[in-house]
Amino acid sequence: MPELIKVRPTKIELVKLKRRLSLAQRVQKIVKDRLSILTMEFLQTARETAEAKRKLIDEFSELYKALSVAAGYHGYIALEKELIATEADLKITAGSRNVAGVRIPSFELMDDTKPMRGYNLVDTSSWLDRTAQLSEESLRAIVELAELQRNFELLAMEINRIKRITNALEYIVIPGLQVTINYLNMKFEERDREEKARLKRVKVLVA
Amino acid sequence: MPKPLHDEVPPVQSGQSLYEKMLQNCLRGEFRVVNAGLPKSQKRLSDLLNEKYPYVICNDGSTHFFKKSELEYLASMIDAEEQKALLLPMLIVLGADQAESTIPILSGCEGKVEEKIVSKALNMPVTYDETRIRIYKPQLALLRRKLKTTTVYVFSPKIVA
Repeated sequence: MPELIKVRPTKIELVKLKRRLSLAQRVQKIVKDRLSILTMEFLQTARETAEAKRKLIDEFSELYKALSVAAGYHGYIALEKELIATEADLKITAGSRNVAGVRIPSFELMDDTKPMRGYNLVDTSSWLDRTAQLSEESLRAIVELAELQRNFELLAMEINRIKRITNALEYIVIPGLQVTINYLNMKFEERDREEKARLKRVKVLVA
Repeated sequence: MPKPLHDEVPPVQSGQSLYEKMLQNCLRGEFRVVNAGLPKSQKRLSDLLNEKYPYVICNDGSTHFFKKSELEYLASMIDAEEQKALLLPMLIVLGADQAESTIPILSGCEGKVEEKIVSKALNMPVTYDETRIRIYKPQLALLRRKLKTTTVYVFSPKIVA
């Protein structure tokens, strides 16, 4: 049950309340539109995150298989020796973008970096090439998942915040204003009726 | 370039109650937040492709970053002349009832570039007139999935009028 706002029953207060109500309805409209867009983005991000996770797991399982075969073919010590040479810094472009008022990160693995191809091609085989190729794909998937996961969290937090505002407007602020406006209207009508009755009574007394 | 929405909100007057001020500040804040991501100016696709870190400056002073892979995807859909005409990020103006959105045509090619990109990204023909391309909500989700960093939402003042 919405609560009455404590105001003096005057016409000026009624005008003020009506102005407040129209303002509150405008805020509600913009907040609801934003919520609808953010929900659409959130659902899409959730789907993409699930897809990216599945893809990453598949790629990891492929990669471990390929690595096991390569380790079996070359031997652990030889493979480790070659892999030391592949160590390199990753280059990731990190930026941000704005989705309906939410600033979300954006990551991209730079294409010109080939972090997994520093080994000696003479002493290695195509098994190691395959492992390196799968590693690169996994890295790309990790970067993609990192971006999606963070976007997912940020969008969820913003949706929660906006939902609270929408609920406050929808269930407390706007009904409270409407109830008070109705109460004031009834009060004024009652006052008019009283005035009419008083006038009638005075007319009878004067006549 | 659309006008920032917070210009539409009347300024807080001194005679207003605390409650009214709070509501108006809330409205002002919402407008500022939703259109903070609008770019101050757009850049041509051909220019962005040559930049090492492609980005544009937003209204709030922050940067909007474009993914190179996305720019290359756009470039693969159109020829060199059209790349010079296409302005990025593309603006998606949300309609009052959220059922449809429009992409204003800003490239100066009578909308052919935008229409080509949107129809290729959606894999279906889209309708357009001289000033805008009309897309519907299910299509909007599809478009945003493919063009995440090269499109930006605009909350039009008409929504709240």
